[in-house]
Amino acid sequence: MSQLEHGERVTTTRSAGVGAATADIEVRHLSRTFDDVRAVDDVSLTVGAGLLTGFVGGNGAGKTTTMRMVMGVLSPTGGEVLWGGRPITALDRRSFGYMPEERGLYPKQPVMDQLVYLGRLRGMGTAAARQSVTEHLERLGLADRARDHVEKLSLGNQQRVQIIAALMGHPRALVLDEPFSGLDPAAVDSMADLLREHTARGVPVLFSSHQLDLVERLCERLVVLARGRVVAAGTPDDLRTRSVLRHRLVLSGDAGWVRGIPGIHAVDVEGHTALLEIVEPGAERRLLEEALRRGDVLELSPQRPSLAQIYREVTA
Amino acid sequence: MTTTQHRSPESPTDLSHTDGRETVGGDVTGGTERAWLVVALREIVVRMTNRAFLVSTLVTLVFIAGYGAFSVWQAGRTSTYTVAVEDAEGSRLVGQAATTAHSQDEKVVVEPRVVGDAAAARSVVEAGEADAWLHQGTSGWVLTSNDDVDRALLGPLETAVRTDALTTNAAAAGTTVAVLERGSTLATSQFDGQQSTSGFVKGATFAFALLFFMAAMMFGQQIAASVVEEKQSRLVEILVTAIPVRSLLAGKIVGNSVIALGQVLLFAGVGLVAVSFTDMSTLLPSLSTAVVWFVLFFAVGFFALACLFAVAGALASRTEDLQSTTAPMTTILMLVYVLSFGLSGTALQVASFVPIASVVSMPGRILAGDVAWWEPVLALLLMAAFSAATIGLSERIYRRSLLQTRGRVSWKQALRAPE
Repeated sequence: MSQLEHGERVTTTRSAGVGAATADIEVRHLSRTFDDVRAVDDVSLTVGAGLLTGFVGGNGAGKTTTMRMVMGVLSPTGGEVLWGGRPITALDRRSFGYMPEERGLYPKQPVMDQLVYLGRLRGMGTAAARQSVTEHLERLGLADRARDHVEKLSLGNQQRVQIIAALMGHPRALVLDEPFSGLDPAAVDSMADLLREHTARGVPVLFSSHQLDLVERLCERLVVLARGRVVAAGTPDDLRTRSVLRHRLVLSGDAGWVRGIPGIHAVDVEGHTALLEIVEPGAERRLLEEALRRGDVLELSPQRPSLAQIYREVTA
Repeated sequence: MTTTQHRSPESPTDLSHTDGRETVGGDVTGGTERAWLVVALREIVVRMTNRAFLVSTLVTLVFIAGYGAFSVWQAGRTSTYTVAVEDAEGSRLVGQAATTAHSQDEKVVVEPRVVGDAAAARSVVEAGEADAWLHQGTSGWVLTSNDDVDRALLGPLETAVRTDALTTNAAAAGTTVAVLERGSTLATSQFDGQQSTSGFVKGATFAFALLFFMAAMMFGQQIAASVVEEKQSRLVEILVTAIPVRSLLAGKIVGNSVIALGQVLLFAGVGLVAVSFTDMSTLLPSLSTAVVWFVLFFAVGFFALACLFAVAGALASRTEDLQSTTAPMTTILMLVYVLSFGLSGTALQVASFVPIASVVSMPGRILAGDVAWWEPVLALLLMAAFSAATIGLSERIYRRSLLQTRGRVSWKQALRAPE
């Protein structure tokens, strides 16, 4: 792989009057070792500009460690992170919105004050920060809590304040570690809308989650991590086509006999219904002949694999 | 295959913000410009709106001002003593005592009150209408009272009785009191022509030590607490991706130092005003000089301490760890505090050049008037060098330990960890 392939890949999108020079975040061969344990092992992935990329994997898969290295909070043992094709700098990261895994705020400072403070630290003017905070508080239903101390808010509401801290002021990229955990369905929807607005501006968004249904619903790209390695990456449809297609077979009689058909893997058999994988091409012909010999075939349909199923397959 | 940047596996962070960028508009720009100032202003605002801080400052001020007010009240009060006597002879002695007392302290008035007999005298003294009863005993004058007689009354009365008796005796011996007393007095003087002030110097040094100790402990602990608060609440990850670690540390140090110095200036100012109302007001010029030096030393020394306390905060991962990570500073401060009373001579001279200890000892020596002009200047330069070195060292340790949120980092580990 040559350096030239990673030349300037900065896409400049201008929409709704908000100018943001955005780019891809590229993670290349990133590794991190903690006392001989490889937490992240040669991870490469791309968070494309304007794309919502979901980062999934079990506990300890290395998602947080990878995100911390992307944000420069942790140094990699090997590998590098690129922004717009060149090694990322601390200054680039300062215009990113970041939501760490373990997070908190100043417990005894009012919501508005500390969000304005965090905005100012990232270079916003006081008035602009105040306006941005006000808008976000309204969107997330917290407008009347602006003057309350953070410690007086419920955990879900503290979570919303955290989200505002990451999203305010048109960040150039978003790196969000479990941004949806602890949110009620209404807040999940508001959050999803907000994230889509950012990707519409051309901002790359990387977020991790355990909620696979949510990731499936929201993401344009998916990266699956297991034991520190990328085990699958691509669009949800890419992953589906890579997965072994399953079929549902419904018969008029008992379906137990399907287990004996060569080239067919019976995943699950229950009464008249069987869930099958066609391991050997052409085996479905033998299956149908045998089925028709034994009675009626009420249904034979391909099953669209759920993300949860794909996830179980790739992380197995 | 592109080679990757290989960093030392132990190095925890990659936060070397090198560039500076202008702050513009309403978007996050990653501007480093004046990030430390934003941090410093927050520290100041948070402290100034902290009720505990305001109350403790106010209480201390009331205490200092109260001392001044008490002195003024004490000084402005006229003490009147009434002495019961039986005859004109007694009245004459009391009159002489009144003159002596008034010449010593013009706020003291002594009056005679003529009573009929011992019983009447006893009743007026017991009723509190007179302080004592001056009468003839078998072998001279006797002063009878219910309680101890004040020195302010007893002294002049003794002098009056003694002078009166001496005059009579001298006349009987054919001479005069003046002749008898010739050469019998001991005059006191000091080589530099100053009044004796050693007690005053001790008192002022104590005040310096107390002020320094209190401020350093209070603000030091606050700095450490505010650092660990950010670590404990994990805000630190957001902060250090937003601004350079150096700006965060600088903002904290500057913000807290400004408040600490402001508070010390306030206390010192009110204290000087309080002293100006007391009978020590003649010493005000030399005290003011010492206070100015104290504030200078304090400002420079506090910077170093503030850095060390910030490091102590960074080494802890929870508020509970602070007690052990701040122990080295607490010990040093205690030593400075205790030693500042005990030292004298050469030891004191040495201490007045040792950074941190010099904050208290050098102004004390200046007040005692036994320093050459270059001595405080040299001590201050030494302290400045010490502070600069501490700031440099602290920044490194702070950067290394700030993001280690799992457990406490020891000073040794932090110092040994590779950059």
